[in-house]
Amino acid sequence: MGIISLETTNRLYWLGRYSERVYTTILLFSRGYDTMIDGPQSDYATFCKKLDIPDIYTCCDDFSTDYCFNKDNPDSIYANLVRAYDNAILLRQDIGSDTLSYIQLAIYEMNKAKSSDAPLIELQKVLDNIMAFWGMAEDNIGNEQIRNILKIGKRIERIDLFSRFKRPEADISREVNRLTARLVRTSIPYRKENIDHLNDLINHFPINYAKIIEEVDTVLEE
Amino acid sequence: MDATDLYKHADTVNELLARYGVKFGVYKNNVFNEQLFPFDAIPRVLEHEEFALLEKGLKQRVKALNLFIKDIYSHKQILRDKIIPEEFIYAGSGYLAECDGVMPPQGIFTHIAGIDLVQGKDSAWYILEDNLRVPSGASYPMIARDLCRRSSPKTFQRTDIDDNRNYADLLRRVMDFVNPGGHVAILTPGRFNAAYFEHSYLAERTGAHLVNGSELVAENDHLYFIDYSGRKEPVGVVYRRISDEFLDPMTFNSNSLIGIPHLFDIYRKGHVAIMNAPGNGVADDKGIYYFVPKMIKYYLGEDPLLQNAPTYLPYYKEDMDYITKNFDHLVLKDVAEAGGYGVFFGAKLTLKEKADFKALLRAEPRRFIAQEIIDFKDIPIMEKGEAVPRKADLRAFVLMADEPLVWHSGLTRFTRNPDSFIVNSSQGGGFKDTWVLSH
Repeated sequence: MGIISLETTNRLYWLGRYSERVYTTILLFSRGYDTMIDGPQSDYATFCKKLDIPDIYTCCDDFSTDYCFNKDNPDSIYANLVRAYDNAILLRQDIGSDTLSYIQLAIYEMNKAKSSDAPLIELQKVLDNIMAFWGMAEDNIGNEQIRNILKIGKRIERIDLFSRFKRPEADISREVNRLTARLVRTSIPYRKENIDHLNDLINHFPINYAKIIEEVDTVLEE
Repeated sequence: MDATDLYKHADTVNELLARYGVKFGVYKNNVFNEQLFPFDAIPRVLEHEEFALLEKGLKQRVKALNLFIKDIYSHKQILRDKIIPEEFIYAGSGYLAECDGVMPPQGIFTHIAGIDLVQGKDSAWYILEDNLRVPSGASYPMIARDLCRRSSPKTFQRTDIDDNRNYADLLRRVMDFVNPGGHVAILTPGRFNAAYFEHSYLAERTGAHLVNGSELVAENDHLYFIDYSGRKEPVGVVYRRISDEFLDPMTFNSNSLIGIPHLFDIYRKGHVAIMNAPGNGVADDKGIYYFVPKMIKYYLGEDPLLQNAPTYLPYYKEDMDYITKNFDHLVLKDVAEAGGYGVFFGAKLTLKEKADFKALLRAEPRRFIAQEIIDFKDIPIMEKGEAVPRKADLRAFVLMADEPLVWHSGLTRFTRNPDSFIVNSSQGGGFKDTWVLSH
């Protein structure tokens, strides 16, 4: 299995991105929602702005339900999980049935959370399955190239999201270092100038988050 | 055999099957839905001696079918000898003129045959159908067995059963035997195909690449798999899970977007094996089924070891007369339909429908076959904690490498409706594992 097609590469990359998007946006949402319990109930507008998604929500409760669980809302966590699944289901032979099964389980847990009395706490089980997916991918996928492509997607998504939420410089720096190390281990075409630029950016304070997003989102060649 | 322990854990096994995505897709009202394939934990058990007889008969049948297809696309001796009327070949949609004169690698056409059987109340087995195009279903009992062994190890310690988890090894043996050189690819139309789970699972288990048409390219009379850097690797085997007409838009349906342009040219030159071979439909037409016992006699000089369900062809006058007289006791099948569709029970039609149907038989005698209704043996399934009897069939799998290989298991499909004989998954049926006892 030493050969990976362009389609498979694309699916692996987006599986990495969407699974990470689900994981990190659940965490970001949980923190944001927690501040809305005591603070301004309209803070979800800021959350949407940071993610660059339209604020279509009517109130805090509508936001928490729709953003998490409405699979017809293309920006929802659920819709992103479905996208992760749509890629994963086409990769059984590359990632293995066991690895794939955790994305399937995350879907089941998302459905259970949606119909639960306490949906937000139930999202923890979605997180658990995404973590298990990553653990299984690390442990179970023998082909290093496949692991690398998945992780490149994961790192790019994480740098993008961390930058949007202006996470501490150390967090961004760690992720850029991980991405750099991963890219040089693959033969995926990437723009070296973007990586060089990203490494410069993390060494200049205060960190230019907008520029980091711009660089990381175009690091891979089409 | 005590199945108590097995069905005690049936819910867990079904949960795990769901976790592993053991599903099939169904289009209803133009909407695609993935459905779980309900698994019943009580296995169908076949005695060692009983299966040994089936195995012999299945090998015999598939050998003859392979020889028949080879003959039809080369010398056509069986037609010259008038064993089968020519119109049954040329008027059927399964015959592909493009395959005339084409010999696949190792002369194998029927790499994977799915033979559907039922057991009558008298315990006799009857062949209902030969599936020689893209038969599916082996993956379900294979994965179910794996989970059942985990849920109830003691049951398997106590009972000596042939291990069925070797299906992928058998399949790989066939792939390697016919491979003229290169990678092995499983060509899928994509995840919205009813059997997509099986495509991906078999790719995982055989170590083949799961590909769609756009990932393979024909160049200089060879087929290549292209990686993300543009590197090309030769492909020697395409286990296609798409129909003949979509395989190659340059040869068959020019509107096909899921095939590989010029694949057939490469196949014709012997540079790639296509599993199963294009054109096999000529032998698994329900009309041709009638002639399989004659083929066995003709090609092998042997009496058939397995019997067909008693079948009548409206094409023959004496059969037509029989059908007209015994209409209420027969089941009529449209030869062009599959999946449990196009099946009509004479007794269930109204008087007007019967009259219309008989007129249709006279107008299109080649379109239908009529069969005696086999009173299947019921087998138990668990429903709401109770064992209840239901109709079931058995799909046996015969693979052809240097010799025919019969998989020591099979897909047992059952109806969940107590009044129905239709076991197809697309119509709500479930499945069971099939155990072949080792002694």
